[in-house]
Amino acid sequence: MEHITGNNSFDAEEINALVESLHTYERKVLAALPQASSISQIADAAKLQEVEAMRGLQWLSNKKLVSVLETAQEVVSLDKNGEKYKKEGLPEMRFLRALVKESSVEETARNAGISSDEISICLGVLRAKGAITVKQGISTSISNDAGQGRLVALRTPQGDRLAGEKSPEEYFLQKKFPLFLNGIQPDDKPALEQLRKRKSILKVEKKTLKQFSLTGLGNKVLRIAAVSGDVSDRVTPAMLRDGSWKQKKFRRYDVEVNVPAVSGGKFHFYASFLDRVRERFLAMGFAEMAGPLVETEFWDMDALFMPQSHSARDIHGAYYVQDPKYGDIDPKVIETVKASHEVGKGTLSKGWRYPFSVEQARRHILRTQGTALSARAMSLPGLGIPGKYFSIARCFRPDVVDATHAPDFNQVEGFVIEEGLTFQHLKGLLRLFAEEFAGTSQIRIKPGYFPFTEPSAELFAKHPQLGWIELGGSGIFRPEVVKPLVGREISVLAWGIGIDRIAMFNFGINDLRELFSSNLAVLRAMKVS
Amino acid sequence: MPTVVFSLTDLQDLVGQQLSPDKLESLASYAKGSIEKTNQEANEVTISFDDTNLPYLWSVEGFARLCRGILGIEPGIPYIKVAGSSLSLIVDDSVGVVRPYIGAFLAEGKQVSDAFLKQLIQLQEKLDESFGRKREKISIGIYRAGQVKFPVTYKAVPPDSVSFVPLGFPHEMSLRNILEEHPKGKEYSWILKQHKMYPLLVDAKGEVLSFPPIINSNSTGRVLENDDHLFIEATATDKHGLKIVLAILAFALADRGFSLSSIEVRRGSKKAVTPDLAPEKVNITLGQVRKLLGLELKNKEVIGLLEKARYHVSTTLSVSIPPYRGDILHPCDIIEDIGIMYGFGSIEEKPLTTYTAGKSNPLHDFKKIARELFVGLGYQEVMSPILSSLNMLSARMQLSPLSDNGKDSAKESPAIDNPVVIENPMSETYSCLRSWIIPQLMDFLSKNTHNPYPQKVFEAGRVAMVKPGQGSGQKTVAEHEHLAAVSAHDSVDYTEARQAVDFTLSQLGLAGEIKKIEHPSFLPGRAARIIIDGKAAGFLGELHPSVLETHKVMVPVVALELDLDALFELVTK
Repeated sequence: MEHITGNNSFDAEEINALVESLHTYERKVLAALPQASSISQIADAAKLQEVEAMRGLQWLSNKKLVSVLETAQEVVSLDKNGEKYKKEGLPEMRFLRALVKESSVEETARNAGISSDEISICLGVLRAKGAITVKQGISTSISNDAGQGRLVALRTPQGDRLAGEKSPEEYFLQKKFPLFLNGIQPDDKPALEQLRKRKSILKVEKKTLKQFSLTGLGNKVLRIAAVSGDVSDRVTPAMLRDGSWKQKKFRRYDVEVNVPAVSGGKFHFYASFLDRVRERFLAMGFAEMAGPLVETEFWDMDALFMPQSHSARDIHGAYYVQDPKYGDIDPKVIETVKASHEVGKGTLSKGWRYPFSVEQARRHILRTQGTALSARAMSLPGLGIPGKYFSIARCFRPDVVDATHAPDFNQVEGFVIEEGLTFQHLKGLLRLFAEEFAGTSQIRIKPGYFPFTEPSAELFAKHPQLGWIELGGSGIFRPEVVKPLVGREISVLAWGIGIDRIAMFNFGINDLRELFSSNLAVLRAMKVS
Repeated sequence: MPTVVFSLTDLQDLVGQQLSPDKLESLASYAKGSIEKTNQEANEVTISFDDTNLPYLWSVEGFARLCRGILGIEPGIPYIKVAGSSLSLIVDDSVGVVRPYIGAFLAEGKQVSDAFLKQLIQLQEKLDESFGRKREKISIGIYRAGQVKFPVTYKAVPPDSVSFVPLGFPHEMSLRNILEEHPKGKEYSWILKQHKMYPLLVDAKGEVLSFPPIINSNSTGRVLENDDHLFIEATATDKHGLKIVLAILAFALADRGFSLSSIEVRRGSKKAVTPDLAPEKVNITLGQVRKLLGLELKNKEVIGLLEKARYHVSTTLSVSIPPYRGDILHPCDIIEDIGIMYGFGSIEEKPLTTYTAGKSNPLHDFKKIARELFVGLGYQEVMSPILSSLNMLSARMQLSPLSDNGKDSAKESPAIDNPVVIENPMSETYSCLRSWIIPQLMDFLSKNTHNPYPQKVFEAGRVAMVKPGQGSGQKTVAEHEHLAAVSAHDSVDYTEARQAVDFTLSQLGLAGEIKKIEHPSFLPGRAARIIIDGKAAGFLGELHPSVLETHKVMVPVVALELDLDALFELVTK
């Protein structure tokens, strides 16, 4: 019967192409098919594992070389005891063989390795076959005062004969299972019925039977495949060296089929994002700053004119380093900053008017803000003026880790130093940032507060989907910050961008911790952008 | 960032105007605040203020006072009347070490309403906790004045010498007992921990008014609704902050219609009258305004804008500052208010026009190159927190506890240097800075055992270690950029890690020696150090099966860790 409908007139070339595309499994299955139809028969004939034969059949079926006929069948297979008896023999036969003349049932069962719950069936079956007789014996033991313990069995001549051969039931168990119920020969039926009555020897289940046969196209392909000889799977160096590839046919692959995934090497999506932020700052003429994670309170706070009693400066605001507790700072810089705090020395400021502690200033903490890098940079003798500066700084604050607080976080911070810059230029700079990093020129600038800038402003940008989002903070460094570090009063625009938040918007992430995701599947799946 | 709750109707009564949500939002932004929540049903608005140096805004009276200026209802500096009084407060020298400063005043002639009492309690709490640094710097006491017999004495006494009934307790307790047993005593005992004498406020009858900054007495120190005669004091270690706090309280009570009278504070022969409400003055110039804001303003305009912010300004731009503002240190602080009142949105924008050349940090450039090499080798980059734990860095890597690490073993095994440990961690998981990265990559592998292999990941980033410093016993912190990589799959072995190292070094134009080492994290005979020009530049090896077992990783793993600082130095030499 022709299974291919529609345009089924394959020309010779197409059939050749089909033949060349056959995998080893397909070839073997194809050759076996005329003689076999069930999966186990095919696997046997093709000398393949059943899974291999199944794959071959699946592919052949996809290529319409094989058709499948499914019928519902009752299938007989071995149950738990059946598997056991197939190996060990049936218990009654073992009993019979172990029985010497007239012996205690209990002892015989023990010798034959038969469990107590099997004894009754043994005796029943053997008596029915006339192989033994059973009678009440004399108790030899105090404990065996009742029941089978006192039974004695005697093997009959019939029994002697049966013990020497396999029983029909034993023959039946040796068959190759599963068997189709309706395919069982009449001669085997009594044994089948006997065994079915007994506990957990056979199972009869309804199953869908698959029978495979060649289609018309399959027959044609088989004829050609049979004469086409072997087809090579791979080009090998040996073939190339000796030129034998010229005589080979190479199997055609199904190039359209899906193949297992591989993962290539790539950058972490967030690291890659930060790389691009860095490149943009460099392109805009900013110079990159760097500095330590283990920082002194001095550079993180004092140099930024945060009074030593400021609320950010306690165990809730900063991580304190256990050892070494103190770092070294140039005494000259400390002196000018100290005088600025205490009496506003050097500027028109009144100062914070408290006794400044040099010891506290030297205390080691983990950097809490990227602005520490700006303070360090401003104090460098080689500071370029006019100049623009930035850094991408990992910072640390004691927060409970949750959707908006990672164990540590990144800040992009920096400053622009030049004579004559005003708040108007700060606004211009903020617009530039909004355009560069949020892709919008719609911005809102609101009064803000930072201890080291005056005026201070917060930058909001209108995100096309999310509405107004906070991009960062900014301001003009206070004279009390600039004078002690730079040595003179000059306009310094300061800014910081919450880059983690912008990255979250960029990647559509709602939980900050996902930026540092430790799920390899997520990292592998993340698109490069 | 202080957050306060105001009654909407109370606020509107004090402002003298209905306030729509938009108007309220706009007024708050002038005060560097934002509306967190408005609950019309409960008649409540929650505002958070950015500026921690403007505590007067934490009282509804103070915020309403600013609003009246902005809205033009009552511009200019506010003045209140304080009657002089003959009542005095005597300060004993004994408080000098523990809590030297005190100021006080009286308020009467008005009953304390429910709304006001709530505000007064909120204000007292915010001032104590936030501005007063959890009462360490400043704390406030409020009493029923009718029960106080003047003069009041402020002195320091030994912990067991005085007993009184503290607020909320039925019986007398000594000062020591209060610190040990009273909930407030336990909460604030740290402030007095190192002192031998404790502050005490007693009246002329010898009745204890309070034990500052811990607790008031149960008899006089409890203010209730409808009380109409209050004695208010604040004690402090910070004289300047004390003055501000007294001014904030005085203005709040005066705005509520109370009549105030001052108290004379006597310290030996020195006398001072509190509250001190004389405004400080700062001169500004139009030039300073132009320089900071870029605005060309006339005197008249500057005066108008500053009066909205509740300053008084003379025609010569001498600015008088309301006494409840302690944040004005420099003319720039006043000029910011000019900008805010002018409107940040209205200030013209100017682009930056000066050309400056971009300049990258060369070590960061080098790090990027190294990362690119590992991407080329087929590794996926990962990013971990720099915070880690000693358990992850040592125990899970089969290293002995770090405190036991003698110098000898540190010499033998790289990266067992002592990590930088945090004194006040939030959790054990994040309690030190990582000293090497491989442990974090192992942790990464342990979290990804359900994902398909091969798994090849790397990370480049900062590590920190405690190192011996210059002098004997001196210690210093060294921070380096490292690059670490791990490869995990059925058929990986040492060779793969070695190939990656060789490839990296050759691409960087470096030739190094590979010297075998013993390292407890790696299989014996399968770990090596990379030495270039006699300098250690990293190490590599095959992870010990027991480390794999600890991390529940069921495939072999090789790892390498390169010191990018060292490699960079060699490359640029």
